[in-house]
Amino acid sequence: MEYSSLHRQLATMKKSFFDQGFLDEQFFQIEELQDDVSPNFVEEVVTLFFKDSLRLMGNIDHALEKFPQDFDRLDSLIHQLKGSASSIGAAKMKNECTVFRDFCDKENQEGCIRSFQKVKKEHACLRQKLENYFQLLRQVGPVAKATRSGN
Amino acid sequence: MANSMLSALLVEDNAIARVVVSKLMVEQGMALEEAENGKAAVESVKGGKSYDLILMDREMPVMDGHEATKQLRLLGVKAPIVALSADTQQCHKDLFLQAGADEFIEKPLTKDKLAQILTKYGLRRGDAL
Repeated sequence: MEYSSLHRQLATMKKSFFDQGFLDEQFFQIEELQDDVSPNFVEEVVTLFFKDSLRLMGNIDHALEKFPQDFDRLDSLIHQLKGSASSIGAAKMKNECTVFRDFCDKENQEGCIRSFQKVKKEHACLRQKLENYFQLLRQVGPVAKATRSGN
Repeated sequence: MANSMLSALLVEDNAIARVVVSKLMVEQGMALEEAENGKAAVESVKGGKSYDLILMDREMPVMDGHEATKQLRLLGVKAPIVALSADTQQCHKDLFLQAGADEFIEKPLTKDKLAQILTKYGLRRGDAL
């Protein structure tokens, strides 16, 4: 039965996101908000996140090129990015943003640049994973409801 | 007698967070307004708006949550103000409470945390009747 096979694939995929630390409990919170009124709420919020985060990361890239560095501005931008990541449960991204902020606090330009590369890497990785996930979810259709990992 | 919907003000600079919290609040049957920073929240109250609950982020541009809370209390706002922050350092909690916030909740706001807040302040759906 292809349908149940797709369901299993979906469940396995989602479980791996949590097991590997890409997503945390907050993602379940967002899934639980999806209902008949907002049947695509999760994908909409995630899409909004990736659009907004790309914009922020562009601004951070631009800010990192400046000399002397404006660490207050950098901190403000990464704070925004961290907040967005946290809101959708993007755990690894959130953690890398925290590391970046620590380097900002210490006014460590090199540290900021290095940690931002990791932020971008986690962003790209999560984006690919969630794009694949939603592609599969669309194949399964609206029947799939929020479930905890592995169910 | 018509139902009067309870109203809340979400003071939060992060657009994604606003979308998520907004859905949470609407699900709880609350009418929600949003302000992108503390100054917008203060202006809203100065303009005559009143709320049954205010959710206040800490770090925001233009005016942060501590200052906004202080100013709202000076304006005579009596509604519960619940501070929201991912940073749970005691110094930030203390600053918020000294400014006049009623409590401090760690972000992100979840369904359960919101339900606890609404119950605590008598704001559950049906409490307005």
